[in-house]
Amino acid sequence: MKKGVAGFSLVLLLMSPLAVHSAVPLDMVKEHIDKVLEVLRDPALKGESGRKVKKERIQAISEEKFDFTELSKRSLAQNWDKFKPDQQKEFIRLYKSLLEVTYSEKVTSYTDEKIVIKKEVNLSGKTVEVQTTILTKTSEVPIYYRLIEKDGNWKVYDVVIEGVSLVSNYRTQFREILAGKTPEALLEILRNKVGKGQAS
Amino acid sequence: MKQTYSFILLLTFLLIGPVLSLADEASTEPIEPMTQEEEKTFDVFPMIADSNLARDEESPFVVAEQKEPDKFVPILGEAAGEEDLASEEGEEAAHILDPFRPWNNAMFHINDKLYFWVLKPVAEGYKRAVSEPIRNLFYNFFDNLRAPARLVNNLLQGKMNGAGNEFVRFVFNSTAGLGGFADAAKELLHIQKTSADFGQTLGRYGVGQWFYLVWPMIGPSSPRDTLGFAVDRAMYPFSYISYTSISFGAATGIAVFETISDTSFNIGDYEAFKKAALDPYVSMRSAYVQNRKKAVEE
Repeated sequence: MKKGVAGFSLVLLLMSPLAVHSAVPLDMVKEHIDKVLEVLRDPALKGESGRKVKKERIQAISEEKFDFTELSKRSLAQNWDKFKPDQQKEFIRLYKSLLEVTYSEKVTSYTDEKIVIKKEVNLSGKTVEVQTTILTKTSEVPIYYRLIEKDGNWKVYDVVIEGVSLVSNYRTQFREILAGKTPEALLEILRNKVGKGQAS
Repeated sequence: MKQTYSFILLLTFLLIGPVLSLADEASTEPIEPMTQEEEKTFDVFPMIADSNLARDEESPFVVAEQKEPDKFVPILGEAAGEEDLASEEGEEAAHILDPFRPWNNAMFHINDKLYFWVLKPVAEGYKRAVSEPIRNLFYNFFDNLRAPARLVNNLLQGKMNGAGNEFVRFVFNSTAGLGGFADAAKELLHIQKTSADFGQTLGRYGVGQWFYLVWPMIGPSSPRDTLGFAVDRAMYPFSYISYTSISFGAATGIAVFETISDTSFNIGDYEAFKKAALDPYVSMRSAYVQNRKKAVEE
């Protein structure tokens, strides 16, 4: 019976590739949020030391779900080709640390807030936006995850909080910095920022 | 406080005056045919109908955010030349002029110091001294007073559901919620508040942000949102009853307490924002523009 159901599902999957496409990103975001919540609500992790462990675990979780290369390219936009290949690599690495520290810092400040996954909106053939809301004590914070499909996997390439796109916000900053400075100087700024972030 | 308001008003006139005359001068110049892309860019600034302002390199105006739609240029192969990702994400409109950057930058730093030196220590003390359930009562009380302004703005924006919700919330919370101290409408009737302000109303009517403007205490704004702030504040009960039934000093005290109350729920947000930013000034301006754009579109 089980086999029959599985076989039937497989046929359905093959018959409706589009339906499958649209179902996956939402599930992926849900899975990500569930994993994060599990870490946040772990009763064993309390106090300052607990929070540190939480941050590390959340960073590990986001590593699987975020596409940092895509994030970097979109954040640098036209400036991406001003970076030499090894500079691009270093940029991705530094930018990733910065985002992970920021993201885990932000997320671990939440504890008993409810998260509602609202809906999924197609942005283009390969990109999708999954809309979620965090219900805090005093307000509702809309958080949208933008995902892109690569080799059959959906990965997050942008997070939009209250209308503010992470990529867009950093892109503006990078553009202003690179208008007067070299890619190397931007990398130096990032090195300092990330170094400080890890020390504290 | 009274002086502060007059000061802000005076400054607004001083700042807006030259800009208006500049805009007039510019409009007398012959208008060159615009490309489609340029037209698109200027839709965002309907108040400056003339295109020369933003295009002219001699102009004191700096196109701060995005001069033209920021096209994503794929380098590593994937998604090469597939579609215009920027327009797909609606990012091309998230820009604002910043002609008064030195002033804005100074105000940004003043607000930064005000937060760390005054507001944060006081709000932290309040948070330590007063338990959360009690702080919630005061939060609800102040928020209930802001409901009339939200109600009016919902009406002006033609959002009848929102207006109805705010009306029921205000009446119910002011009575069953014991003068607004309990958010009974949320707890018992499950009616959520809306977020409607007059700057947003103007935006929906097609008024552009025009340019970026940072005020002391108030923070990121624009001529449109400054007017919006003033109008919303005028609809705030303590603004108009203060001259008749309570003294000006008491009204100021209440306003200060309101700020501390609100801040006590958001300690850490600004710190996190600063930690994430490479250039906090630019990051805040970008966040402000994007956030307000979304507010108007919804």
